[in-house]
Amino acid sequence: MAENGSVQGATIYAVEEYSVHEEPYYLPIGDEVQLFETAYRQRIPVLLKGPTGAGKTRFVEYMAYRLGRPMLKVSSRTGEEVEHRMPLITVACHEDLTASDLVGRYLLDTDGTRWVDGPLTRAVKVGAICYLDEVVEARKDTTVLIHPLTDYRRLLPIEKLGQVIEAADGFLLVISYNPGYQSALKDLKHSTRQRFIAIEFNYPPRDAEAQIIAHESGCDDRTAMDLARLGEKVRNLKEHGLGEGVSTRLLVYAGRLIAQGIPARRACQVAITWALTDDSEVQRSIEEVVTSIFE
Amino acid sequence: MPVSIVTELLARHQERLSGFPAPLGQQFEAGLRALANRLTPSQLQAWAETGAELTALSLRSWEAAVEYFRAGANYPPQATWDAIETIGRDALQMAAESAPLAVSFLRAAPGAMEAIGPANIHAWAELGRRLYKGNWKSSSLAAQFYEVAPELFRVLRIGQASRLVIFIDELARHSYELASACLASAPSVLARLEEEDRLPFITFATELAQTSWADSRLYFDRGVPLIEKVHSSLRERFLLLAAQAARGHHQRSAYQYFEDAANALGEVDPDDHQQVIMLAEQLAPYSPFAAMDFLTAMPTVLQRIRIDELESWQQAGLRILQTSAEGGEAYFRLQSTRAEDILENLSSRVELSRVGEVLRLYCKALTGRNVSIQTAESLAEKGIGWVDEHRASTDGTTIFLPELMERFPNKDDNFAAMKVFATHQAAHIEFGSFQFAFDRPGAVFPTRRHAFARDRERPATTDMEAFFDLFPDRQLASDLFTIAEDARIDARVKDEYGGIRRHLVRMQAEELERRPPVEMMPLRNAFVENLVRASLDGLHLVRWPRDRAEAMSRALGILSAVQTPGATVEDAAEAALALYEIAVSIPNIRDDVDPGSWDAVEPMEAGQAMPMEAAGEGGAQGSQAQLGGAGEGDEEYESPQEIDFRGDFKPELVDLLMKLRENAQGGQAGQQQTMPLTPEQLAELLAKSVEIDLDAMDEGDLDASTGMFLSNLMKEAGTPASEKGDQGGQPTSDNSTGEGEGEEPLKPVVTVYYYDEWDFRAQDYKPRWCAVKEAKLEEGDEGFYEKALKEHAGLVAQTRKQFELMKPEMFRKIKRLPDGEDFDLDSAIEWMVEKRAGANPTEKIYWRRNKIERDVAVAFLIDMSASTDEEINKRDKKYDDDDYDDDPRKYLSWWVSKRRQELTSPPKRIIDLEKESTVLLMTALETIGDQYGIYGFSGYGRDNVEFFVIKDFDETLDQKIKNRLDKITPIRSTRMGPAIRHATFKLMQTDAKVKILFLLSDGRPQDHGYGRDRTEKEYAIHDTKQALNEAKREGITPFALTVDRAGHDYLKTMCEDMGYEVVADIESLPSRLPTLYRRLTE
Repeated sequence: MAENGSVQGATIYAVEEYSVHEEPYYLPIGDEVQLFETAYRQRIPVLLKGPTGAGKTRFVEYMAYRLGRPMLKVSSRTGEEVEHRMPLITVACHEDLTASDLVGRYLLDTDGTRWVDGPLTRAVKVGAICYLDEVVEARKDTTVLIHPLTDYRRLLPIEKLGQVIEAADGFLLVISYNPGYQSALKDLKHSTRQRFIAIEFNYPPRDAEAQIIAHESGCDDRTAMDLARLGEKVRNLKEHGLGEGVSTRLLVYAGRLIAQGIPARRACQVAITWALTDDSEVQRSIEEVVTSIFE
Repeated sequence: MPVSIVTELLARHQERLSGFPAPLGQQFEAGLRALANRLTPSQLQAWAETGAELTALSLRSWEAAVEYFRAGANYPPQATWDAIETIGRDALQMAAESAPLAVSFLRAAPGAMEAIGPANIHAWAELGRRLYKGNWKSSSLAAQFYEVAPELFRVLRIGQASRLVIFIDELARHSYELASACLASAPSVLARLEEEDRLPFITFATELAQTSWADSRLYFDRGVPLIEKVHSSLRERFLLLAAQAARGHHQRSAYQYFEDAANALGEVDPDDHQQVIMLAEQLAPYSPFAAMDFLTAMPTVLQRIRIDELESWQQAGLRILQTSAEGGEAYFRLQSTRAEDILENLSSRVELSRVGEVLRLYCKALTGRNVSIQTAESLAEKGIGWVDEHRASTDGTTIFLPELMERFPNKDDNFAAMKVFATHQAAHIEFGSFQFAFDRPGAVFPTRRHAFARDRERPATTDMEAFFDLFPDRQLASDLFTIAEDARIDARVKDEYGGIRRHLVRMQAEELERRPPVEMMPLRNAFVENLVRASLDGLHLVRWPRDRAEAMSRALGILSAVQTPGATVEDAAEAALALYEIAVSIPNIRDDVDPGSWDAVEPMEAGQAMPMEAAGEGGAQGSQAQLGGAGEGDEEYESPQEIDFRGDFKPELVDLLMKLRENAQGGQAGQQQTMPLTPEQLAELLAKSVEIDLDAMDEGDLDASTGMFLSNLMKEAGTPASEKGDQGGQPTSDNSTGEGEGEEPLKPVVTVYYYDEWDFRAQDYKPRWCAVKEAKLEEGDEGFYEKALKEHAGLVAQTRKQFELMKPEMFRKIKRLPDGEDFDLDSAIEWMVEKRAGANPTEKIYWRRNKIERDVAVAFLIDMSASTDEEINKRDKKYDDDDYDDDPRKYLSWWVSKRRQELTSPPKRIIDLEKESTVLLMTALETIGDQYGIYGFSGYGRDNVEFFVIKDFDETLDQKIKNRLDKITPIRSTRMGPAIRHATFKLMQTDAKVKILFLLSDGRPQDHGYGRDRTEKEYAIHDTKQALNEAKREGITPFALTVDRAGHDYLKTMCEDMGYEVVADIESLPSRLPTLYRRLTE
């Protein structure tokens, strides 16, 4: 079913075989690492809350890497010895994501149909961390689907096959959710919500953010500090013309442009000002903050 | 010989003249004798013959003859026989028509002869005759013309006089009184003008007489001083321009154009008149009105751009004028957005009103607080201690900036300067200038202030007050604190904001150039001045007597310690304290030693300069440190010259204001209970504070101004910290609101919004033309809503059912998809069959449920104009509708009217039906769950468009809103455009996918000034259409529903490609409205 291989330089993995190979850079701000590790040991599902670009996805990758670190050498189908890492299956949820997209469906084959597992099913089977990003975007039926997986039962019923799968030992469901921009309509249901422990993510404090920017973008410390300062100032405009403050991700992008020799003001314009808003008045205001901070 | 001819002629005419009164004979003889020496016998004979002829013409023509003979005696020496003969001939003709006319002609003739010379006599006579139309009024006017001849010809030549006569003649066609008055004043009026200006003056008058004759009087009365406002060499050209404008027909009178333009020129530098008039003349061929408006606009325009930039602005307008007269005229009237934009682009100055919003967000970003931006002027107007209308400042929640910035020749620099001003004020807030806590230690300096604290009768109101109370010389302390704190703030800004550093350094350098010479000052003043210089990065400009160098050096060291990054406001306070100690040790005397001994001073190492911790620190020894004050024999200390970009820094006042605000909001829960301030405490505080100069605020006695000040201050503190438009999400609203607010009936809060208006003639927007005043509608009777529901009970049930059917199912199954939840069995079988048959089957064999969301927001805009007061003529209706041939609509209306009759309610008006329909629709909308807002509009004039909120989008339907519905009543006019624009604005704030603007009106848009006159439809319709177009551009679906039976023709223009419907039968409105809405959103 799933085939490993390389096509024109791109590495292709079956979803359940993908894992984080190199240690992702993650700068802990509080006790989130310890919390997550404990939760994983207890197999308590985790909800990551926070604005976009605050590092939720990076955190999950980092945790997957950390948790898989006592690497087990196991035999694969081909008989070779490969490193077993903690597989991480990430599903970006969108408003048309249905239950069958997660669980699996019949596909046409030469002589009839064939069942294909969805990512959630695969994660349950191999015992991976399954990360549902922006879960509130998905249809309501999907959120109900995960209920039996997130309590003591750890079961995934597959209606169409008439099966129930007991989750493999390593399986953990992690979901993320951005309380900021979703409308009241798209709030997470309480029955769903109360199956997770919630770790709140926010933008890191100025110094930490500067450190992250410097590391991720390769720009110098002074620029990183200025970018962090800019991020802090622009976030003050949230609710006033800006739906969401500038993310660390965008600040890193700006830093990368600057590190490659793009003038700082221009880099901030394309990576921050124009990326954030279309409102010309707010753009102008952000521009003024940029020109105050950068020469 | 002469004697004999005289005797002979006397004898010959004796008989003919004897029948008339005696003067005739006497004058004949006198004239004869006077002329005898000048004329030949035959000429004399002819002269006498003419006189005799005159007597015979009519009953009273002898009077003319008397004057004729009398004139004979009075002719000036240059009078020729030809001229005298001409006079006789003209007199004969005149006397035949009107004897009195001839009388006045002859009476004035000798004088006129002298004024204009014998050659022009006939022309003069002809001019007068031109005014004579055969009636007595014209005859007296002509007579008047002759009479004024001597004075008139002192100021006019005969050719010019003919132009005057044309004018008088024209005026006489309308009013003889006016003509006569103007003629009478003409000599004196014209005399006041330069000679070359007289003819143009008359030319304009003539044009004026033709188009707006009534203004001629005004022109004659007031014209001259107005013309004198124009540069003397250009008056002729100016008048010709005015004359051209008078030739056209326009709304405003030509005189008004003239007066406005002249007054405007009066405000412009006369040296610029040449250029301005020249540019206006270029416009005149296309539109003389534009030329006049151009002149009128000059004071405003030249305030914003320089005279050498004027041509580019004029050229841009000229290009518009060449293609569209209306557009060009609006441009030069400054009623077009383009004119504003171009002006703005040319102008180098920066106006706060234009950049305020950008700066507000900028300052919010910097400070992280909801600061608002206002003009410094508005702060001064509040009367709460700030008096300077031009200096930047802040009260901790609002940043006040000068209205204009025009210190540099280009715009970018001016904006940068404005930004430096704003940044400095924002930095005061950001870096905690107003967070001073008396007990908190600084980060750099040792804490010494406690050692100086004396016992107090009562605790200090604010920490700032407690601090300043340490100093005997409060002014000096305040100045030193300001210097230290500003130095700290500037250093922080430079440190944190690398980008603005360059501009800040430039401003500092400029300020340094403006400093007064330090060597001229008494020592203590010089000390403070040096500190100011050092704080502006002007260490190299510090000058100080060499023998006192140590004190200065220490002071400079202290100042530089405040400029280190970690320093806080408490450090600035400690620095001020240390500086104060040094300052009072320096006598404020002039140093008599020669200026050569003044030298630059190097600052001391910060660590060395730092004051030692006071001995009494922490210990409870009775001995308390004392601070000195002004010494004996000193000159009075004066505060240093102000620094522009730093503005007014009033920490004590801001501290107090914040305290008062806190009190006004009931204090923060959980914090220590703050004692309310008594007026006495306040008064005491004000009396000692040096930040408030009560004398400067108001003349008059001190008590009164103190009282005024206090009440202003309380008022200011009483208003929530974030005002005007910002419903700040700050903690203030969290704690303080609660019960108190809802209980007492609040006055409706009016918020004003400005909108552009579309001028279809100019094809441009008139900027910020209409003021929309939004307020909640008052609450009315409680029963109305229920009553309306009861009245239409059947309809309500029916509508509700229809709308329930509309409510979408959450999911709908969609088949034949390339991907989906599961196979569609039919498609799958088909696929299999085709595959087996060897065909190429379609892959689309899946189905899936698609989520259908109904996400609709609708704004209802109800016309509350006076015309909706009209009663519905039910008798006529009923008669017509007796046969409603199976049309359910007609049936319904018949039913409605029947119901109504049963209830014997007063006759319904259009508005009543609008109201009832709204109620019905609201129940429908509640059923379906759409977001909706209901608004009414009316108003009078462009600056008073009333926009009533009946239900805002974020309100839920409660009793209050039901009560408001009852208050929908006809008020005034219908200015639809701005109301639509505001409703659009409201809709844009919702996040619904489908946005609908539903306009419910009874007739076409109409308002005062909404078009050239009350009857013009075009303008209003075009503006309304434009407003609807704007809404469409924003993704809103506009729909207009009208009950105007003649509505079709204008709706067609307004809603070309938009939905509209005319409800021909007004009484069917309650049933029609929900139906329409349903169709619109299905």
